[in-house]
Formats: sequence, structure tokens, C-alpha cells
Amino acid sequence: MTDPLDDLDRDILHRIARYDPPPPDLDERVLFALALTGLEDEVARLAESAAPAARAGERARTITFDATSRTVMITVLERPDGLVRLDGWLAPVAALTVELRLPSPAPARTVTADESGRFVLDGVPHGLAQLVIHGTPRVVTPSLLL
Amino acid sequence: MWSDAELGTLLERARDGDRESLRELVRALNPVLWRVARGQGLGTEDAADVVQTSWLELLRRLHEIRTPRAVTAWLITTTRREAWHRQQRARRDVPDGGIAVEAAVDTEPAPDERLMTDERDRVLWRHFQVLSQRCRDLLRVVAQVDRPDYTVIAEAFGMPHGSIGPTRSRCLAKLRAALLADPVWGAS
Repeated sequence: MTDPLDDLDRDILHRIARYDPPPPDLDERVLFALALTGLEDEVARLAESAAPAARAGERARTITFDATSRTVMITVLERPDGLVRLDGWLAPVAALTVELRLPSPAPARTVTADESGRFVLDGVPHGLAQLVIHGTPRVVTPSLLL
Repeated sequence: MWSDAELGTLLERARDGDRESLRELVRALNPVLWRVARGQGLGTEDAADVVQTSWLELLRRLHEIRTPRAVTAWLITTTRREAWHRQQRARRDVPDGGIAVEAAVDTEPAPDERLMTDERDRVLWRHFQVLSQRCRDLLRVVAQVDRPDYTVIAEAFGMPHGSIGPTRSRCLAKLRAALLADPVWGAS
């Protein structure tokens, strides 16, 4: 069996634990994403995340999620007031309900994509969020840190 | 250490929708999944994302994966595969190899300079780096969790279950010996 640890062992392990720990919010992000996800959902994978692009004094980044049935692309724009605006696009194009889940108690935000598959979610707070595309099948993204 | 029976109980409860059991399960397995993803050379954001994706995929399969051992094995394999794909794509996306080079260096991520608070941290890091990959993986994981699960570690790093305890002791003993022989460690 394993030898019992003495003070030096514990000191060594304590120092090693600081080398590359998981992000402190990793458990929370996983649990948030799992909360709503069901057996029938299709999981979209982060396909691409482009570095912030300067746009007339604003900061924006583009994130693409790929699922088997659909691709979701969003541009996250930082507003001057500290909130963010999401400009999204669904491909293949479909006028589906798009839900942005936020940690409770904040209610989810819901919009419907237009005929060209575009949708806008404006005035969203920073923090964890998850996109749910209500198609068949329903598509969920991992937790996003806005 | 989590026994298979304990993991099994958590799993059953999580399957029935018990949030606290799911939380325990995530807390118990995330440090190892993190190590697996980082071991494939992913940056921190990509690694965190891959760990999440693996859990989301697991939820879809939970009804067909019955035993706790199968669940942990499945999660680890999925995390490794997702991380590998992510890494391949990152290399392909950068024709000049910029990210690939960075990622290759990143497989043994150096600790944050700000956390290397004293001389002993720097000495330890120096000796830690020259340990075998197996020793480094194992020590990083056991340092991270209070009750490391040997079944999970065996699965994650492809080691026989029975060799983990002795290997851990040997790696730690080697590191201790190197530190005690280092005058800087003794002086600080």
C-alpha cells in the first residue's frame, strides 16, 4: 500500500497542486451546461473562436459551434455600458427559437431567428451562458463565458 | 479514495436527477479529465471546453453505460479523443505552425510565475521537470484531489491499478531525495 505522507510530502504536493490546477470555475461551468441538457439533445462543439477584433472603439469576438445538424455562429460585442450584444446566425438557415440560458435566478432570454437565420440578443450580462437552439433535434452548446 | 461502489452510488443518484450527487461526481473526476486534456497540449480555454463537451456527451449516453468503471473509462477516452481532434484542428488552422509550436511547449505547462512565491517553489519546479512523464502526471493529479481514485488514474494514464500506489511513492521519494540533496532547498 501507499506509505503515509509526512510534512515534507504534504508540502511538496501542496506546491505541485498550484502548477496547473483546473480553472476554479470548471466544475460550475460543467454543472451549468449539464443542468438543462437532456438525452435527446445534440451537443455543439466549439469550432472556432476568433480573437477580439477592434471595431470603432468596441471589442468583438466571433465564436462558432458545430453540431451534426447545425452550425451556430455568434459575434459577442462589448457594449460601453458593460453589457454585451450577441449577433447570431444559424446554418442551415431556419427561423427557430433560440434560447440563451443564464445562471439562476436570471430568467432565460428567448428570441426567434429571422428567415435568414439571424438573431440578436442584446443587453446580456457578462458571465456564464448557454445557447439552446430549439430545432429537431434540439442543439445545446457548452457553457460560454461572456 | 473513491471506491467503485461509492462512484456507483453517485452515478445512480445522478441518473435519477440528484444534483448534489452529480456535483460530487463532477468534482471527483474533473481534475483527472483536466490533466488528460492538458496532456494533449491544449490551452486552458480549450481544455476547459473539451472537459465540458465530454460531460455533455456523457449525459446522452448515461442510459447505455451502466457501471461506474465504464462511465469513468468513457469520460476519459472521450476527453482524450476530443482533445486530440481539437489539437489537430488548431495545427491545421495555422499554416505557419505558430500555434503548433506554442502548443507543443504547452504540454508541460509552467506554473504561473506569480505563484512561485519562494525559492523552494523554484527549486521544486526544477527537480519536478526532470521526473518522468508518468511521475509528473501522477503527482499533479494526486496533488489536486483529496481522495484520488486509483481506478480513474489507471484508466487515464494507462497504468495497472496495482502499480499506482507504489509508483506514487517512488516518484515522491525521488523528488524528496533530489530536494534534500539540493543546497538551495536546505538553505531556504
